[in-house]
Amino acid sequence: MAEQPVDVDPGGQNVAGEAPAAEPDAVTDDTTVHDDDVELERTIGLTGGLAIGIGTMIGAGIFVFPGLAANNAGLAATLSFAIGGLIALLVALPTSELATAMPRSGGGYYFISRGMGTAYGAVVGLGLWLGLMFASAFYLVGLGHYASAVFAELGVDLPFSPVIGIGLLFGAALTVLSIAGTENTATLQNLVVGVLLVVLTAFLSYGMLDAFGVFGRTSVPEQVFSRGYFPVLTTAALVFTSYLGFAQVATVAGEIKRPGRNLPRAMVGSVLVVTVFYAVTIFVATSAFGADRLGQFGETAMVEVARDVLGLPGAVAILGAGLLATFSSANASVLSASRAVYALSRDALLPRKASEINLRYGTPHVALLAAGGPILALVGTGRVELLAEVASFLHLVMYGLLCVALLVLRRRDPDWYSPSYRVPGYPVVPSLGALASVGLIAFMQPASIAIGVGVMAVSYLWYRYYAGDVTLRGDV
Amino acid sequence: MTDRPSILVPLRVLEGESVPEGVPTLLADAHVVLLGYHVIPEQTAPGQAQLQFQERAAARLDEYEAIFEEGGATVDRRLVFTHDAQKTIDRTIHEHDCMAVLAPNATGSVGEVLVAVRGTVGVDRLARVVAGVFGVTDAGITLYHVAETEETDEDIGTLLDGVTDRLADLGVDESRIKTRVEREQDPLDAITATAEAFDAVVVGETDPSLVTFVFGMPADTVADRFHGPVLVVQREPEPVEDE
Repeated sequence: MAEQPVDVDPGGQNVAGEAPAAEPDAVTDDTTVHDDDVELERTIGLTGGLAIGIGTMIGAGIFVFPGLAANNAGLAATLSFAIGGLIALLVALPTSELATAMPRSGGGYYFISRGMGTAYGAVVGLGLWLGLMFASAFYLVGLGHYASAVFAELGVDLPFSPVIGIGLLFGAALTVLSIAGTENTATLQNLVVGVLLVVLTAFLSYGMLDAFGVFGRTSVPEQVFSRGYFPVLTTAALVFTSYLGFAQVATVAGEIKRPGRNLPRAMVGSVLVVTVFYAVTIFVATSAFGADRLGQFGETAMVEVARDVLGLPGAVAILGAGLLATFSSANASVLSASRAVYALSRDALLPRKASEINLRYGTPHVALLAAGGPILALVGTGRVELLAEVASFLHLVMYGLLCVALLVLRRRDPDWYSPSYRVPGYPVVPSLGALASVGLIAFMQPASIAIGVGVMAVSYLWYRYYAGDVTLRGDV
Repeated sequence: MTDRPSILVPLRVLEGESVPEGVPTLLADAHVVLLGYHVIPEQTAPGQAQLQFQERAAARLDEYEAIFEEGGATVDRRLVFTHDAQKTIDRTIHEHDCMAVLAPNATGSVGEVLVAVRGTVGVDRLARVVAGVFGVTDAGITLYHVAETEETDEDIGTLLDGVTDRLADLGVDESRIKTRVEREQDPLDAITATAEAFDAVVVGETDPSLVTFVFGMPADTVADRFHGPVLVVQREPEPVEDE
């Protein structure tokens, strides 16, 4: 069992007089060791890690975006998803290296604060927390669309659109459940992801055969770049929200067993799996209807695709899968957001109170409320594309900095930095990852960029005000 | 430390589990691996619980450690925050090479010990635990075996004699050892019924075959039903498997 020493010594105090919690003495395959005889057990295996990554991502890319993406970019939306996947992979590889060097809770925030210092860490950490809230809200609005489609399917004619109401309802339910529920949610998450993958594989295999005319249909011939080349990139920026999940694996890095082996596999593996699923989904969807009609169906386009390919049972299966997938994505994001709050509060960038544990339920009620409350406000806006882009923006900033942090650490090469996984193609891969992450931001809507920059500015000001004296960077 | 058997004492340290009366005396000649653990739900990071509870939990463990050391045992201690108690206990058994796990129930002075002998746990480990814990006391040791239908008296004789010999090798006076055999009974019911008359029980961890998987490990069930301390002797550690 390899023992990795940890030699980072945070210092300073925030305005409330709280100092960052002490770093652990060592990290082993099974535990994180503090003070010689206090251990934090690692309990998430490779399957659990993959389930977190895939479970977070698959809800968005398959069940919400196909219609929107096809509307923006035509058949070339397939390419947009591929670009997104490539960028995600370029970031997942460096992130894996950082994660094996520092397998601690907090993910991207932790790596950046230790690699590049408190200011960057604070901007990323607070941005990650808020970014996850935007992402959760986005999934919940998607969920609202699916639930509304269920009503439509049942022939219930509502005099108003229930999308936002349902999103709010589930958002509140999710927060309450995560605070008061103590049953084994990880097993459930694994199961949900398993069921989703089986349903999707069956559906997509049939759809592929159908698209290639095996069942005697000819699909609509289509011009690939029907909307031109530029929308391919703006669409890639929009759908990038479908690739945020691998970083959520890193937020629980402190709980992953055999981190040196499981973290890279879970992160890179989940990106590869969803990229394939996304590309095939878009291909099947556009083949069934053509991009124009697909675009008209909006968020729940996949239901219509399934109805076209498999009839009513197909539509019902995809409706059910869509509800499950968006809910599990929202759930995973809320839990990650709560982990981010904990990581910040541990480092005195947020009040210690924020990570306090409820004595009755044993859950971090303040952190979960701090995640769940704002989500409701965001769901209330109902702006799917805006929520998605702001979430992507905040994550992309983190991704860019993750790549930079890797470059910085490799150059300085401090003693404590000894990753067991090393990124292939250094320094090209991390450099490309950084450039691509930042580059993708340029293709977002101005409103999303403005909100994202605003969040970062507020995060920085908070850091200057609240924790200007805290130092987190690892010694050289 | 002259061949003290390592005995794991797991305690849910923040949920009011403490060292019951009599246990420090019982383990006076053992090497106690004191495991204080706290199980947290998945929504909570273990580090988060550590931040909030470490001080309190460590203070309690300090007390317990002192109690065991006063009793005469040598002590190793661990405080673990975990999502999965079973994984933590299994890992600690493995890392500290524990021969047995104690299900800590209160006891007076131990006069009579029931040792359930089954084929599944190595005779050697069973004997080492019994000799290590009860060797220097003057407790009576009853080797107890519930026979399967196809077992002959000869088989049973060989089995129990083997244990007796091994105990004698380890310095236990043979006059203290009695044997008792029962037939045509459900082993679990038989052991728990017989245990009533004893002060402490030593059983072997059963192989996790299908039956025990469904109905829970018999050794655990004995621990649930019996009101005194139960030592569950662990199987020989398997070679480390590569997951």
